[in-house]
Order: sequence, then C-alpha cells, then structure tokens
Amino acid sequence: GSYEFMSWKKKSGGFCFPHKGLKPIVSTESPALIFGTTTKLASDLPATDSFLGKNKVPDLQKIFQKADGLPVHLKRGVPDRLLYRTTMALTIGGTIYCLVALYMASQPRNQK
Amino acid sequence: MAHQAHSYHMVDPSPWPIFGAAAALLTTSGLIMWFHYNSSVLLTLGLISMLLVMLQWWRDIVRESTFQGHHTPTVQKGLRYGMILFITSEAFFFLGFFWAFFHSSLAPTPELGGQWPPTGIKPLNPMEVPLLNTAILLASGITVTWAHHSITEGNRKHAIHALTLTILLGFYFTALQAMEYHEAPFSIADSVYGSTFFVATGFHGLHVIIGSSFLTVCLFRLIKFHFTSDHHFGFEAAAWYWHFVDVIWLFLYMTIYWWGS
Repeated sequence: GSYEFMSWKKKSGGFCFPHKGLKPIVSTESPALIFGTTTKLASDLPATDSFLGKNKVPDLQKIFQKADGLPVHLKRGVPDRLLYRTTMALTIGGTIYCLVALYMASQPRNQK
Repeated sequence: MAHQAHSYHMVDPSPWPIFGAAAALLTTSGLIMWFHYNSSVLLTLGLISMLLVMLQWWRDIVRESTFQGHHTPTVQKGLRYGMILFITSEAFFFLGFFWAFFHSSLAPTPELGGQWPPTGIKPLNPMEVPLLNTAILLASGITVTWAHHSITEGNRKHAIHALTLTILLGFYFTALQAMEYHEAPFSIADSVYGSTFFVATGFHGLHVIIGSSFLTVCLFRLIKFHFTSDHHFGFEAAAWYWHFVDVIWLFLYMTIYWWGS
C-alpha cells in the first residue's frame, strides 16, 4: 500500500519519484504521510530542532485542512478577508479610474 | 466525502488571476499617464495591486502544497515543466537585447565614428568591478548548490547558512552594480552604446533582484520547516532561476563588457 511506497522513498534517500507506472491513487502522497515525513526528519536532528524556531507546520496543516468549505485564499478568516477586500478595492476602483482617465485622454484637445 | 480518482490538483476558485490582469492594466495605463500627463496615481495603484496579487497568489500556493498536501509528484512534474518553460522564455527575452547589441556593434555606423566603442565613449574596465561581479555570481552559484545538498541531506543548519550566504552575495552584486551605474562616465542617452549597455545590464539587474527575492522567500520557508529532504520544489525553482541569472551575466560580461570594450 502507500505506506510501503513511502518507506521505499526514505530508503533511497534523495530526490526520487516513480514516474513510470500508473498508480494514481496509491502514488498520490496523502497529506498525513508527507507531513509524517516532515515531523520525522525534524526529530531525526534533535540538536538543530530548536535552531531558529520550532516546527509549526503540523499546526498550520490542521488549520488549512479544516472542512469549513472556505477557499484557500480566505482560509485564515479575518486577515485573509481584509487583504482580499483591500486588493479588490484597489484593482476594481483603479480599473474604473483608469477607464475614466483613458476616456478623458481620448477626447480631442481644443487648440489654444 | 468523495475523493478524486486522479493525482492532479483542481484548485479552489481564486480571484488572483483576474485581479492580476487588472493590476497589469493599471500598471501599463499608469505608465502612459506618467509619461504623457505627469500623473503617477494610476502607476502607483498598479504597482501596489500587482504586489498584493503576487503576495497572495504565491501565499496560496504555499498553503495548497505545504499545508494541504495537494502537490503530488504529478503536480510537481507540471510545475517543473512550467518553470523550465518560463526560464526559456526569459532566455529569449535576453536574446533580443543581445541581438540588438551585436547588430549595432558588429558594423558601427559613421555616426559612431565607424568604431566600437563609439568615439568619445570610455567603456568600463572589464578587469575591475565587472570581474569582481563575475566572481560573486559564480560563488553564489556554488553556495546555492551547497544549500541544495544540505536540504537533501537533512542538514538544517548548513542549508540555512548556505542559502543566507547566497542571498548576501546577490545583494553584494546589486550594490556594486548600483555603484557602477552611478559612477559610469556614460549614460543611457549616449548613443546606441548607452542604450544597449544599460537596457541589457539593467534588465539583468532587475532579474538579480527578482532572484534574490525568490531566494529570500525560500530562506523564510526553509527556516519555518516547509521543505523536506525529498520535496522542496520551491527552492529548486529559485535555484534554477538563480543559475539562469548567473549564465546571463556570464554572456553579458563576455560580450558587452569584455569584447565590447
């Protein structure tokens, strides 16, 4: 199954992916396994574990995998919404301003 | 809950593509308003919204991959193709400017004094700062490779050190080039020599800044444990881009700086 696939990957050490053979479901790395590898690697090196902060990736994975139906760009709630609305205001407002400016620029200028 | 029966990533609906297109509209029409009507409102709006779109779009890709696990080997293969195609398109972009340089320098017109460098142009000595810049970028290519090996070997401390060194070398290059630009005895307005020199090296410098920014983002992600020893494509893409920037500089140095002096 997919667990055997993962341990094969770890044995080979470096960067290896099975490009040959179609095993779409099995070869799809399920989230738990990728992050299982991350956590394992961090604990493989206890001396460097606390070098520049601790690993918060598993916590973030929990947040972003919550089944709340939110799209990824709004998944974090309030800060995401604020940034999104600011971007939308600037782009849509800017586009209207741009169309007005281009309309005005396309008017013939009267000779002085 | 239904699961997908394929290894591709069907992304969530996202506003960034259309907002990015709008930002491009604002930036380009902003340039026109700035050139012809002395107004920089639109241009500023365009650049800010471009920055916001880039930040959020790439933030979302990190969320989709590192936090949601959507980047299967299949998805990663597509990303590799995409990055290679993008870098290839950039190579063609620079090819145009090299073409322009050779067009003008291989057969210098009478207006230039029939010679290259043109009469009156005192070119920069290729054995001074430009040679140092060459050494800096070559060294940074070595340090980024060291960083990559450290990542695949799971050595966190070395990876962070090597990547930081790479970024510092990139900043050193940029600082030296800025100083050269300031001190150069010729400007962009000095005949086709100035045009070809500053447009080609200028776009290269912009790409060094882009590459340094990409590497800096990778450094933050590296520190925050985003990369595993098997899966760190963001870093690889940044390293590919950085090597490309280095290669472009080598061509610039050999042709414009050295042969052209």
